[in-house]
Amino acid sequence: MKILTQLMVNGQRRRLELDTRAVLANVLRDELRLTGTHVGCGTGSCGACTVFLDGKTVKSCSILAVDVDGCEVTTIEGLAQNRHTLHPIQEAFAAHHGMQCGYCTPGMILAALQLLSENPDPSENEIRHAIAGNLCRCTGYQFIVESIAAAAKALRESRRNGS
Amino acid sequence: MRYVGARIPSLIHRQLAAGRGQYVADIYLDGMLHLAVSRSPYAHARIVRIDTTAARREPGVVDVVTGEELREKTRPIPQVFDPQSMGAKAVDTYALAAERVRYAGEGIAAVIAEDKYAACRAAERIEVEYEELPVVVDPVQAMAAGAQLLEPSWGDNVLLAQKFNAGNVDAAFQEADGRLSGELRTQRYTAAPLEPRGYVAASDPFTGELTFWASTQSPHPLRVFLAETLGLPEASIRVIQPRVGGAFGEKIPMFQEEPLVAYLASKHGRPVKWIEERSENLLAGGHAREMFLTYEVAYKTDGRILGLRARVVADVGAPSALCGWAMSYVTAYCIPTVYKIPNCHVELFSVVTNKCPWNAYRGFGKETASFLMDRIIDHVASESGQDRTEVRLRNFIQPHEFPYSQVSGAVIDSGDYPKALRRVLEMIDYQAFPKVQAEARREGRHLGIGFGQELTPEGCSVPNSTLVSGYDAATVRVSPSGTVSVLTGVTSPGTGNETAMAQIAADALGIDIADVRVVQGDTEICPFGLGNYSSRSVIIGGSAVHVAATEIREKMAKVAAKHLEVAPEDIDVRDGRFSLRGAPTRFVSFQKIADLVYRHAYEDAREVEPGLEVTRYFRHPNVYHQPELDGRFSAYPSWPNQAVACIVEVDPDTGVVKILRYCAVHDSGIVVNPLMAEGNLHGGTAQGIGGALFEELVYDEIGQLTTGTFLDYTLPTAVEVPHLEVEHQETPSPFTPLGTKGVGESGVTGPLGAICGAVENAFPELKLRFTAMPLTPQRVWRALRAAGYPGGVS
Repeated sequence: MKILTQLMVNGQRRRLELDTRAVLANVLRDELRLTGTHVGCGTGSCGACTVFLDGKTVKSCSILAVDVDGCEVTTIEGLAQNRHTLHPIQEAFAAHHGMQCGYCTPGMILAALQLLSENPDPSENEIRHAIAGNLCRCTGYQFIVESIAAAAKALRESRRNGS
Repeated sequence: MRYVGARIPSLIHRQLAAGRGQYVADIYLDGMLHLAVSRSPYAHARIVRIDTTAARREPGVVDVVTGEELREKTRPIPQVFDPQSMGAKAVDTYALAAERVRYAGEGIAAVIAEDKYAACRAAERIEVEYEELPVVVDPVQAMAAGAQLLEPSWGDNVLLAQKFNAGNVDAAFQEADGRLSGELRTQRYTAAPLEPRGYVAASDPFTGELTFWASTQSPHPLRVFLAETLGLPEASIRVIQPRVGGAFGEKIPMFQEEPLVAYLASKHGRPVKWIEERSENLLAGGHAREMFLTYEVAYKTDGRILGLRARVVADVGAPSALCGWAMSYVTAYCIPTVYKIPNCHVELFSVVTNKCPWNAYRGFGKETASFLMDRIIDHVASESGQDRTEVRLRNFIQPHEFPYSQVSGAVIDSGDYPKALRRVLEMIDYQAFPKVQAEARREGRHLGIGFGQELTPEGCSVPNSTLVSGYDAATVRVSPSGTVSVLTGVTSPGTGNETAMAQIAADALGIDIADVRVVQGDTEICPFGLGNYSSRSVIIGGSAVHVAATEIREKMAKVAAKHLEVAPEDIDVRDGRFSLRGAPTRFVSFQKIADLVYRHAYEDAREVEPGLEVTRYFRHPNVYHQPELDGRFSAYPSWPNQAVACIVEVDPDTGVVKILRYCAVHDSGIVVNPLMAEGNLHGGTAQGIGGALFEELVYDEIGQLTTGTFLDYTLPTAVEVPHLEVEHQETPSPFTPLGTKGVGESGVTGPLGAICGAVENAFPELKLRFTAMPLTPQRVWRALRAAGYPGGVS
């Protein structure tokens, strides 16, 4: 069965005829081709599919898309100002080797964004707990933690400079 | 600037951070069909009848195929290793099982449909009548007389029996001051890359060309295997590796789904896509590690080991064409690792059972050899009353003894094990630990320290294999404007070796890394090479890049010398300039020479062959495939190693183990990119911590996997993995042009012995000896109670 569903995705209004069985992750990927949202487990365990739903991170593999009719979704593609730039958290992950294969990275970056919007100066321990819902199999997390700390510092400095 | 040795961030990470890397699941083609596999619910059964009528009637279904059709239309999947050259048995495997299933999760039929919902629904409608057969899940029982046979024609369940011998073991046991014996069970676990497996195939019905996108480690060998299996001309197949979301060995070809997807795309002339579910990955994506090891050791009172008898029984799961079973061979092959034990007898039995077949997993059996030796050394130390680090130092192969021929015939290239261990003891302040431990104990806290000594041979090469050999290729091409393309036969499974390739090329050519582009993973574009496994990309692929780029530089230097009117041997190359040695102001730019070669072929560049493009193969010299008289041969050219020390805290009330400090000194020869090497070591270490404490694929007595999701197969998170302190020690390989040794598999082994030893050391008075892994809270809690820790079994 298909249901007409409205979503605001990365600032754009989308009207979609959606299969009632479709999870949000698959709609973002298959219908909207926002393939930066990755699926690693399908059981809400790995966090690769993390997106923002009405301002809070969720695991989009475990949410039926028709259930979030009318909601606002931000994916990794919606973070930067345009297609040619990156958000400071994305820049920090690239500069500090906060990834290897990149599969967990979009979810990890969105989890970091959630943390830094609530806590601009987190401790190492706070960072580790904030990303405990996101699995990475490549990095052992150390450079991810360092990337998030570096991003926090950069964001604090840019705020201080009023930019 | 010199790039080799510099901490260069990855050249592709901004793309990945943007979420714009293209993985196989991100490929969408017009008219694409989706494949779903119907898998056996039984561990061992005869397929009596398959009825696909109901499945075919489902809306959107295009085709339903069974093992019978695949057996008729395709050929058996080629073996990665020639089993005969290793003395192993083999069985023909097709893209789907027919007649009989040998493990729960084995594919018996497949559906292609217009969308994945329709495909999955139809797969569930396939009706299969099974006749259950007795199930074998224990490798020791599988070896007993009268056991149910996995392959009746074999006569037993032993896929491979092998022995390695040195010295006179019986005499050593007679001479010794002390003798001890023990056992070790390592659990079944798996690579679990975050991106599951996936393939997309598209076939042109008119030209017969097949394009195959695969989350694979080895595009060229996969192309060979697809051609053999499907009976297609190799030249009509193009394999493309998009970005790969981690592999760790698991994506070494060839799985049954690879020819299955390709066959159906060819049959219907429409693209077919299959993306593995996590549950399928854990059930049927290739397992590793499960072994039962026993040992007897003869030693002197000072802790010197005179003799060792080790027996390895590996549960390699059902026989298949995958290369995983060979991991058990490598375990036996590596014993006694970094130690010099003159009298040694190692016996191996690789046994088949009704479980998922093994496929390669980072460590490839080496981890179990090193782990066993850590257990043995700790045991000897405990029995002889010596310090555990002293026993290690006393038995190490010494730095001046390399190249060292180990019991199996393996030739270890180089190393300095005492130096690495001494340094790691300084890092963790081993001398101060007894005081730290005693103070914590006064506060009621249980701290322990342990040691892991890792030996990770790399660059595997075996005789008569399409995939596993010690050579690889690189093409270096300078364009008329002076930018450089590097095309490699090795690939990156998401580890970043493309950046290392660019560093090596930029150094050899004396140019800016920004002018180098690396292309990998496309059989149509890249030279034939064997891909990524056994940490070979930088050792072998990187050496090929160095050799090819050096040849280009020498050719360009000739043109530059003529231009500058000096002798070619007086030319220096750096910072994008060819200059007269000692007179840097007399120079000509790299771009200018490229311009001369391409645009002035009859004038300035007359003395060289036109064009600036070179393809070179590098063959690692430290490989011996001519078996010695006693059948030994050396398959691994490169021997990175690591010394680890870690401190844990154990909560005796819950059995929870927390890692407080983790220090490591790693030696992979010359490090091309320390940032990436460390990242890789961190990742390997996290996987080792998972193996030491958390991860286990559990089967019940009827061969059902009970840990089929990430909810019960638990990978460590950022909270369980501590801050890791890693240092490099660089003992160059004498056999590679840059002295590199490989780092890809390093890290996974050290945590096993170090954590196990540390947990035991947290309760010195109880004399704990763990013999089964992983050290879950339950296992630790029970061991403490069994050893008499107050609190009893409640």
